Amino acid sequence: MSAAPPLPEAADVTDPGTPAPRLGGLLRAELHRFRSRRFIQVLVGLTLVGFVVATVIGLLNLGSPTDADLAAARAEAERFVAEQEEFRQECLADPGLPDDVPAEEFCGPPLTVDDVGGTESFLDEEPFDLAGAGTDGALAVAALSAALAFVIGATWIGAEWSHRSIVALLFWVPRRLTVMGAKVAVLVLAAAAFGVLTQIAWLAMAGVLRAAVGTDEALPDHFWSTLLQTQGRGVLLTVFAALLGFGLANLVRNTGAALGIAFVYVVVLENAVRVLRPRWDPFLLTSNALGLVQDGGHTLQYWPEQGPSSDGLQMPVEYFLGHLQAAALLTAVTAVVVGVGVALFARRDLH
Amino acid sequence: MPAVQMTAVSKSYRRRGRPPQKALDDLDLLVETGGVHGFLGPNGSGKTTTIRVLLGLVAADGEPDIRLLDRPVPAGLPDVIGSVGALVETPLFTPGFSGRLNLQLLAEAAGVPRSRVEECLELVDLTDRARDRFKGYSLGMKQRLGIAAALLKRPRLLILDEPSNGLDPAGIRDVRELIRRLGRDGRTTVLLSSHLLAEIQQVCDSVSILAKGRCVAAGPVADVLARGATGDVRIRVPDAAGAAAVLAGAGFAVSPPEVPDGRTLLVHRVAAPGEITRTLARHEHFLEELTPLTPDLESAFLALTGDQPPAAVPQGAGTPTAPGSRA
Repeated sequence: MSAAPPLPEAADVTDPGTPAPRLGGLLRAELHRFRSRRFIQVLVGLTLVGFVVATVIGLLNLGSPTDADLAAARAEAERFVAEQEEFRQECLADPGLPDDVPAEEFCGPPLTVDDVGGTESFLDEEPFDLAGAGTDGALAVAALSAALAFVIGATWIGAEWSHRSIVALLFWVPRRLTVMGAKVAVLVLAAAAFGVLTQIAWLAMAGVLRAAVGTDEALPDHFWSTLLQTQGRGVLLTVFAALLGFGLANLVRNTGAALGIAFVYVVVLENAVRVLRPRWDPFLLTSNALGLVQDGGHTLQYWPEQGPSSDGLQMPVEYFLGHLQAAALLTAVTAVVVGVGVALFARRDLH
Repeated sequence: MPAVQMTAVSKSYRRRGRPPQKALDDLDLLVETGGVHGFLGPNGSGKTTTIRVLLGLVAADGEPDIRLLDRPVPAGLPDVIGSVGALVETPLFTPGFSGRLNLQLLAEAAGVPRSRVEECLELVDLTDRARDRFKGYSLGMKQRLGIAAALLKRPRLLILDEPSNGLDPAGIRDVRELIRRLGRDGRTTVLLSSHLLAEIQQVCDSVSILAKGRCVAAGPVADVLARGATGDVRIRVPDAAGAAAVLAGAGFAVSPPEVPDGRTLLVHRVAAPGEITRTLARHEHFLEELTPLTPDLESAFLALTGDQPPAAVPQGAGTPTAPGSRA
């Protein structure tokens, strides 16, 4: 302060008193803080750039076939089916067929064009089919959005612990639960907005692709309601993921450690469980994430651990994960992870 | 109404595989309203822990009586936090945000008008660098921003932990001037924790000295200094050897100075310096100088915390030539 201007009189420095902090002000400040984070700005920007790039790639690799293209593809598909039928006939005529299996079962049923992917799969540039890709795309976008939201949630609180600005905030708002509640509320709001943004980006991308290189076929009944419901559940998954990232980073007080734990969980632990304890699959987070978002839920199949039955046959066990069950499990896990971190924050000494 | 009141406050930190470490041990602290109160103690004496307990960051053992601006801590902290500004150790800000944005976020959270942010930036001479990111600031600039944040709320109680860290001499002078001015305004109480004893001596009206988690001395700075007073005086005479013999014969404890020059003597534990004049004059020794050795706060501090002997006896002064004292 060597070149400081003359200091004001002391009364100017401290008068009058400052009002007590209010929740509304804290929420506004936290929202401002969230919006100002450079990493979050870059992440959201890159996500939108990713959608633009994906749209351009789609435009370059998909196409609107002419009648001649369709006729050629249909001819190629029929030629392929006929060729497969020849192989099948040779199989049926083979004298070395096993006695205990019917020939029709051993050689399989006759194939149709639809069985080999339809005429479209024989086109050089397949058209974009919104009816087929709409909900699958929303599911993929939900997965991407959830992964990014996890990172956003982890860095939102992890950075606060890293430079301890959350401790400084307590000099202003000493109620710890209020501080943490404001941060969680802002994150939920932001994650929901991010999930909606990515799903809108998917709709925009699909709209551009359908208009430029899409099929003209009418959309099936209930297409839009199914798609919007899938997207809504995708937004919910994004919020869950953001809260899990937040909760984990708050527990370990470090963004990098939280991301490392998440990586080990998804890549190592879940795969190990699916191999060693397949019956636990319904409790894995990614299975439940799929069960939550995928239209109609998710049916798991795994082989029973007790091995084949006495007749030598082994049938896979099916387990249906519905939306509600998946949402309940994700809610419980999120509540525990976030709740333990918040409780520790409320009780621990802060240095 | 005291600004800060702590009675029998203890704090132990649990340590894995080792016995708990007692950071505060039945600490009593009283800071009256108004003025600048110094908070002194060697490293690990519990100063920062005390401040953290006051601000609700660290929980004291049990439920001791802690009051901040007459409100119990931590339960009543939300009621008075709008009147308490604090800078604890290093300033804690978001490195990627500008200095201005960091202050704006705090101001928004506390309902402080945005114009106040500009006032405080101006106050610490950071207006020109307010748009720069905090991580690009020098240590001194970071410290100044921390002081600006502490002043943002127009606090009635200002808690500053080592506010001069990293500041250049002119910056230190300005901060001390500001602290003194705040202490004089009759509205603000400043609790200044510092390891710079000269800073405490220059700036503070009262002081508390901590050692091993306990308050070993407290009161007005002058009173605490007086506790370390030894009654030593330095005299200057034409014939030091002769005068020393006379004074020793009269029962005074006398020693040569650190660097003997044949003219200077140190006389210890003198209750009435006039006795020296009278005794020497009777033996035809006439004083050229008689200076009471006033102890500084550092000496008192070191003596009180048990780190060093009282400093009014200069280092290497030797043993007094006669034991005892006239006083």
